[in-house]
Amino acid sequence: MAALVLTACASHAPMMASARAAATPEQRDAFFGAMEHLRSRVADLGVTTIVILANEHFTNFFLESFPQLCIGLGERNHGPAEGWLGIEQTMIDGNPSLGDHIARSLLQQGFDPAFSHCLDMDHGIMTVYQELDPQHRTRLIPIVQNCAVPPLVPLARSWDLGLGLRRAIESAPGDERVALIGAGGLSHWIGHPRVGDIDEAFDRWFLDTLASGRTESILDMDDDEIELAGNGAHEIRSWVAVAAAAWPRPATVLAYEPVYPWITGMGVVDFSR
Amino acid sequence: MTWYEMHRCVYDFVRCQEQGRGDVFDAASYDLSEAERTAVDTGDIGALYDLGLHGVLLNRYCRQLGISLDDYKRRLQPYAVHQERRGRWQRSS
Repeated sequence: MAALVLTACASHAPMMASARAAATPEQRDAFFGAMEHLRSRVADLGVTTIVILANEHFTNFFLESFPQLCIGLGERNHGPAEGWLGIEQTMIDGNPSLGDHIARSLLQQGFDPAFSHCLDMDHGIMTVYQELDPQHRTRLIPIVQNCAVPPLVPLARSWDLGLGLRRAIESAPGDERVALIGAGGLSHWIGHPRVGDIDEAFDRWFLDTLASGRTESILDMDDDEIELAGNGAHEIRSWVAVAAAAWPRPATVLAYEPVYPWITGMGVVDFSR
Repeated sequence: MTWYEMHRCVYDFVRCQEQGRGDVFDAASYDLSEAERTAVDTGDIGALYDLGLHGVLLNRYCRQLGISLDDYKRRLQPYAVHQERRGRWQRSS
């Protein structure tokens, strides 16, 4: 059976690739140092497939049809969507058999994921994947979820999704060694009068909650409360899902930096032992 | 004259610009209200925000128009709303 060998999360922001130098050297060292730690973990653990759970930014879907969840089943997917991101645009190998198993398993567990045989992966996935494997050699299964357009799934559903993803991965035939990575958040505002603000108190409280193993205690947060930390804070759904996949292991916070030039609270956590 | 039509119009503008096909975009082909059409024709991001344009799309629209983050934050300031509600992380501090 496949093994889920790494569960971790990282914030994403386009500027971490396109305007890397805009952050202070201290903040860059802290954030990218934590990402380098995860990169070493991917290598040391012999990860064969990275599953990145991130969010849709009107890259693949628009208002005609907007799935809450879409799994990339393709032999290859394209990324990054943004030509200006500073990451070479290319096709990246997927893992159709594992992706298909994950989709079928989630269907059997009561989820109704959409699927795509060629997702266009934007900064939400590519900035994090680039840090985990700059050579793009590890197969990548992208999963995008709706963290932007109401109605949104409740946080409790994100938790359940994480439990389902773990069951799906660990029931896959073969000897895949899988990393499940949540990408997105933390606090930030997009297309909003508060663009550029970061709610450091929220970010630190959220990370403390993950680190204390009490993520289940915040699953009753409604959309309005989450949005007090920014319309981009809805992306914590990916973190909540990965926390569930790792449960009962708490997070180890590897870095947190409020990077104002990147307009985002930038955190990195590792749930693995 | 629907929330969707305004979004479709702005989305198509952005996609045409991103793909170097700006010449094929025609705002006149969308069923917009007078306020929506004026906002689109003039690139009035404050008005588009006030009309309910989604933040992710507004952000991409600003990028295409070459409006910096500082500038678009300044233009949106008149539409800022004070939040009375406090999150649990604020109540405990």
